Amino acid sequence: MPPAININNQDDLPGDFAIWIFIFAEMLAFGVLFVAYAFSRAQDVELFNASQLTLSRISGAINTLVLITSSYFVVQGVAAIKRGLNKQCAHWLTGAFILGGVFVVIKMVEFHAKFAADITMSTNNFYMFYLSLTFFHFMHVLMGMVILAMIIMKAKRGGYSTQDYVGVETGASFWHMVDFLWIILFPLVYIIR
Amino acid sequence: MKYKSQAVAKLYFIAAIGLFLGQILFGLIMGLQYVVGDFLFPVIPFNVARMVHTNLLIVWLLFGFMGASYYLIPEESETELYSPKLAIITFWIFLVAGAVTVLGYLLVPYASLAKWTGNDLLNTMGREFLEQPLPTKVGIVIVALSWLFNIVMTVLKGRKTAISIVLSLGMLGLAVFFLFSFYNPVNLVKDKFYWWWVVHLWVEGVWELILGAMLAFVLIKVTGVDREVVEKWLYVIITMTLVTGIIGTGHHYFWIGAPAYWQWWGSVFSALEPIPFLMMTIFAFNMVNKRRREHPNKAAVLWALGTSVMAFLGAGLWGFLHTLAPINYYTHGTQLTAAHGHLAFFGAYALVVLTMISYAMPILRGRAANPERAQIMEMWSFWLMTISMFFIALFLTGAGIVQVWLQRMSPTPMSFMAVQDQISIFYWAREGAGLVFLIGLLLYIGSFFVKGESRAFE
Amino acid sequence: MANNKALFPTVIWLTLVALTIITFSLGESAMSGKGVMLTLLAITMIKSQLVANYFMALRKTKFLWRAIMFGYFIIVGSLIAMAYLMGLK
Repeated sequence: MPPAININNQDDLPGDFAIWIFIFAEMLAFGVLFVAYAFSRAQDVELFNASQLTLSRISGAINTLVLITSSYFVVQGVAAIKRGLNKQCAHWLTGAFILGGVFVVIKMVEFHAKFAADITMSTNNFYMFYLSLTFFHFMHVLMGMVILAMIIMKAKRGGYSTQDYVGVETGASFWHMVDFLWIILFPLVYIIR
Repeated sequence: MKYKSQAVAKLYFIAAIGLFLGQILFGLIMGLQYVVGDFLFPVIPFNVARMVHTNLLIVWLLFGFMGASYYLIPEESETELYSPKLAIITFWIFLVAGAVTVLGYLLVPYASLAKWTGNDLLNTMGREFLEQPLPTKVGIVIVALSWLFNIVMTVLKGRKTAISIVLSLGMLGLAVFFLFSFYNPVNLVKDKFYWWWVVHLWVEGVWELILGAMLAFVLIKVTGVDREVVEKWLYVIITMTLVTGIIGTGHHYFWIGAPAYWQWWGSVFSALEPIPFLMMTIFAFNMVNKRRREHPNKAAVLWALGTSVMAFLGAGLWGFLHTLAPINYYTHGTQLTAAHGHLAFFGAYALVVLTMISYAMPILRGRAANPERAQIMEMWSFWLMTISMFFIALFLTGAGIVQVWLQRMSPTPMSFMAVQDQISIFYWAREGAGLVFLIGLLLYIGSFFVKGESRAFE
Repeated sequence: MANNKALFPTVIWLTLVALTIITFSLGESAMSGKGVMLTLLAITMIKSQLVANYFMALRKTKFLWRAIMFGYFIIVGSLIAMAYLMGLK
């Protein structure tokens, strides 16, 4: 197969530069929260360890696998569009979108269990961070799903080409960010003690 | 001027500048009262001077926003204003209501004013910035809705651009969030919530949309840079503004009885609030560097760049100084807040209105730009006002730091009034900078009357 | 060669899955302590870097962008490690 002509400068970040401003800002916000979590934990290790054990590690782990796999699908979607295959791209991204939905459902079950146990952000510092971080991340998954849906619809209409796929890369970059933030969040909040 | 109806903006701009002058005069009066407590007592007590100073600020900025949008929207929409007549009626209602309210503050004891204007019917008075009597508050809502209606109808019948959409959104938010001022719960914590939902969501939320739209408009006009580029930046900036600004409301919840998690949410998100301001600065300088034409109105370019820099310093940097909960624990409600308030209001909102006036006024008076000499005078006024305001902020910051130390951190803390004596030197210096500011403002007003060879339209 | 290239993301994906399972098992084994903690953190940062480099395709971009990402993981990772070591006392 002939190599696709890439009009994007390889030096540049994949996708629209505007999304990268967001990605860097999001990384900063999450980074501060991660570090704040770690230092607050150092103040009261016992409380954090005890509360941490009440979390469902299995659902956290499944969600990690779900997001990693969805990211993998997005990579395949971008590879497809670089060869001009709109339909295949839409299929891969739909797969990623569905996995996003799975993440959301699992997360809501988890939230429901915590709220049913009367746990709120005021319960203690650990739950404050747990609920804040996961909810904040949850909103990003929803946002990412909206972006994916818009790209899927455009791809189904054949809206991208080997010349013009910046839109796909833009959405993909955001989705990968959602993925790697969870990759850090999961061990930090669910596992390490 | 491309559209006849844009002319209504002129009225609004003149009123804005007049009220601006009034605001500064009252600022100087109370600045002096900080150090000479009985100055003008009992004619104008400190609390009344303060009320007039802050209320005039809000009203002149609103006049500026309204005038700017009546100028900007016809041009963006490429159509005449929906109803210039309504805009003129609204202007007079607002001006008269504003004048009567200020006279009420000055001539009638506040308690009597409250009694006469039906405050026991619906209790809304007595809160900082929202001191207006009930009829005035209702008037503000009517004026804001009439303004919004006029603008939205114009946008709907003409071209829709990112700038006009963002501006309309900002105005919608301005009108909606003001409604919180009609609810004044007895519970002090709730009261503060509703109060901040007006004050904070205005200045750290929807007003920034208005600011962004106005700045983007002027930059497109004076640089000739592609609209697509400017619009993308505008969208990125306002999204960041809204996300950080709305959740950042939490930085007002620190010590007022709200749940403790707000200390985290408020600190982290409000710490990000400078980012959209920084982006605005980068954006403005980028546009000017990539300019495709040399606009004859040099002064307008200076105001626009000044807005982006001073907004970042005043709102962004000075806000960040005391936004983190552990720091705010000491600095809450000290002169540091006053420093931030002055530099942010001036840098973001006063300057953006002056930018719009500087760009639009010559055109409204039938020329592309003012005569050279008038522009030079205008630029002088820019530097005088900007530098003196920066010094006001610096002196108040100094006062705030000493205040925090003597009153709150020192092993032998002093009482509030004793501390005020200790920092009077800063207040004197601030008053001096205030006088320079007044000279700058007078020079600015004078620049409108300079005659000379003016540049016609190309 | 073309085949290898197509397989590459799959290899990365499988590596990420494997590392996640290791993380989870370490968590379930209820082990704790300095060594486990640092191992888990190291795995986490390797995973994030894999996503950034190969999924986000930053590997091919200019040094500045890669440096920002890498620096981010290093700084966040070491600050977290520092806080945890403080917690151990």
